[in-house]
Amino acid sequence: MNPDQAAQAAQLPRRIIKETQKLLSEPAPGISASPSEENLRYFNVMILGPQQSPYEGGVFKLELFLPEDYPMAPPKVRFLTKIYHPNIDKLGRICLDILKDKWSPALQIRTVLLSIQALLSAPNPDDPLAEHVAKHWKENEKEAIATARQWTAMHAQG
Amino acid sequence: MSDDSEEFRSGSEDEEMSDYGASDADMDVEDDDDDYGFAGAEEVSTVPKVPYKVLPKEDLNKQREKALREVMDVLGIDEDTAMRVLRKYKWDSSRVQEEWFSKYDQVRESLGLVDEPGPSGRAACEAEERCFICFDSFPVRDMRSAACRHYFCKDCWRGYITQALSSGPACLDLRCPSTECKQKACVPCALVMELASGEEQSKYSTYMVRSFVEDNSSMCWCTGKNCENAIQCLVDRGPDEAMDVICSCSATFCFNCKEEAHRPVSCKTVKTWLTKNSAESENMNWILANTKPCPKCSRPIEKNQGCMHMTCSQCRFEFCWLCQGDWKEHGERTGGFYACNRFETAKKKGEYDDESRRRENAKASLERYMHYFERFDAHSKAREKARLDASKVSKDWLEQLADITKTPTSQLKFINEAWNQIVECRRMLKWTYAYGYYAFEDADRNSEVARHKGFFEFLQGDAERSLERLHEAAEKDLGAHVTKARNQADGGFDADAFQTFRKNLIGLTDVTAGFFDKLVKQLEKGFSSMEADYAGQVDDGAGPSGVNEGGEQAAGAAGGPAATGTTGHKGRRSKKARGVDEDVVLLGEQGFWTCNKCTYNNQDLTARRCEVCNEARAGPGGGAGNRR
Ligand SMILES: [Zn+2]
Ligand SMILES: [Zn+2]
Ligand SMILES: [Zn+2]
Ligand SMILES: [Zn+2]
Ligand SMILES: [Zn+2]
Ligand SMILES: [Zn+2]
Ligand SMILES: [Zn+2]
Repeated sequence: MNPDQAAQAAQLPRRIIKETQKLLSEPAPGISASPSEENLRYFNVMILGPQQSPYEGGVFKLELFLPEDYPMAPPKVRFLTKIYHPNIDKLGRICLDILKDKWSPALQIRTVLLSIQALLSAPNPDDPLAEHVAKHWKENEKEAIATARQWTAMHAQG
Repeated sequence: MSDDSEEFRSGSEDEEMSDYGASDADMDVEDDDDDYGFAGAEEVSTVPKVPYKVLPKEDLNKQREKALREVMDVLGIDEDTAMRVLRKYKWDSSRVQEEWFSKYDQVRESLGLVDEPGPSGRAACEAEERCFICFDSFPVRDMRSAACRHYFCKDCWRGYITQALSSGPACLDLRCPSTECKQKACVPCALVMELASGEEQSKYSTYMVRSFVEDNSSMCWCTGKNCENAIQCLVDRGPDEAMDVICSCSATFCFNCKEEAHRPVSCKTVKTWLTKNSAESENMNWILANTKPCPKCSRPIEKNQGCMHMTCSQCRFEFCWLCQGDWKEHGERTGGFYACNRFETAKKKGEYDDESRRRENAKASLERYMHYFERFDAHSKAREKARLDASKVSKDWLEQLADITKTPTSQLKFINEAWNQIVECRRMLKWTYAYGYYAFEDADRNSEVARHKGFFEFLQGDAERSLERLHEAAEKDLGAHVTKARNQADGGFDADAFQTFRKNLIGLTDVTAGFFDKLVKQLEKGFSSMEADYAGQVDDGAGPSGVNEGGEQAAGAAGGPAATGTTGHKGRRSKKARGVDEDVVLLGEQGFWTCNKCTYNNQDLTARRCEVCNEARAGPGGGAGNRR
């Protein structure tokens, strides 16, 4: 930790420091999250596509930001890697209840990322964010999954 | 105004809750049919007389506490729980009781009501526990929890409560933040109040009061500017049933859709019409303009008066603002038939090919819409103008006039009454154009619809012509009298002329009220029986047609809380002395008379004043002779 970071860390609520330490020392399987050097509230996240999902074999980059009123308000999370998923739109925004009205301050960065990982295993086209992807999913699931695989190969590998 | 509201507010104020659920005899209004008239009028007083009540802020809290208290007593629960369960069932206390006793566990579970597991001993202990929000440890006695015993430190609770309060009334249903909390325990009001700041506490209390109105299917806020009153509906309304209300602040609006009062038109028509208007507003800009060229000399004429009778300042041509026709053809003097409310589809000439037929149809449908919209808009503006004029007259002119004419202002009340009539009639009239637009779309293809349209336009035309005369008299004749009186050089005040004016204005007010009464009733009844009714009514001038509406009245009367014993109607007892006169018998068949000011259907057939707004009864049955 350089002096600048130390100064920043002193400003940071203890909860965030503890969460960060735990994320680094005991990462959840298939998930890594590390704070950026310039801003300790900004995390670079990577999630491995879960097995038996069309995202298997892909490495998905996300950004996560803890707003000033975290943990009373939820973190802001977004996919940076392009992904074909009914609950994730072109801009990488995620439709997930715990990131909105179901947020509780007792949830953590770790639980949020685990939920996102679970969302990759179980897309929910009935609560869509990307309308046409959801439509595709409902009308021809097989084909939609094939497209998701292609996108994974194209954007999330190498 | 304040007197009126005071009166009807006190109407059912102190009625016992036990009067809810009226007995069978009360509910079954039909049984009383034979008794209608004088003898029966006393008996039917158990049905609600006033379908709504205005609740000022102070009364609101009293009512709310009363509702809470009732549920607390019957269910044996605390205030906090009572509020949660009342909110869940939209403050319908009989539903609350039903659900609470039949689905006790389910209801409690859905509200996050958790049984206290008894004192834990932990609350007092020195042991430290970790707060799962800030991850710090605290002695348990410095932490707080809901009944589920998920402890968090006070600071974290504060943050949680602040966040919830800033997100609106949903904070009334705040739950334990723990992710482990299987029961989703509710956070007690007491805990919120303990930890919230002073400002937040009052915000929370405000939400609690607001819930009594906003989560309550029989309540709404008055839509009037800066008015803090609530309106409580005292009868069972059908889903989406319109109900015009008038608040003590004089705002009038529909309880159901919150638009401006729109009797006799349904909420659905109003909504469709207003949506269409906003979609078409760009096309209609020229209609919304306040100037039109004089039909004779083309000089632009600005409409700055309420009535539709225009006079060109250049060539003195008198014409109608709406149809641009010669005004002479609008009066009775020439036997002229008032026709500018009518819509005629332009006659088609010759044969059309498909393309030009399509173009013609599009043009025709736009013209049709323009016809109705232009009139809707013109009457709407005339109403706004009349509202301003009415208050100007009663504020500035009446006292002057009383001075000049040496009559007490109470004797000049007929002027106020005329203006109130104008304002309300303009409102009814404008909505009949929304009605007409939708009701007679098929007139060109269906002869029955065309016939109904003819009847409608006839009644509407009568009402409109009468209103134009009334408006003109109240506006221009009154203005002339005032000007003359102020100007001694001109001969000063002419007492005889003023007497004539007075008689004329009173007569016009009554006649206009009658025409509108008839129009409104006919529209509410629909057209299936219109021809039959009409056949027997032609000579009746302004008499209301009185068939069949008892059904509607019975529906409105049954089931609701009994708002009885309306005070301040001392006149009721003396009515027997008056004897039976014809118009009362006629009204008796119908079971009520409609107030022309607030449009409430009064059930006391002999009353001289409206029970809701205390307006003197006008028109047929009002007995103009007995009125003043
Ligand atoms: Zn804490
Ligand atoms: Zn809990
Ligand atoms: Zn009001
Ligand atoms: Zn309405
Ligand atoms: Zn002219
Ligand atoms: Zn005209
Ligand atoms: Zn009234």
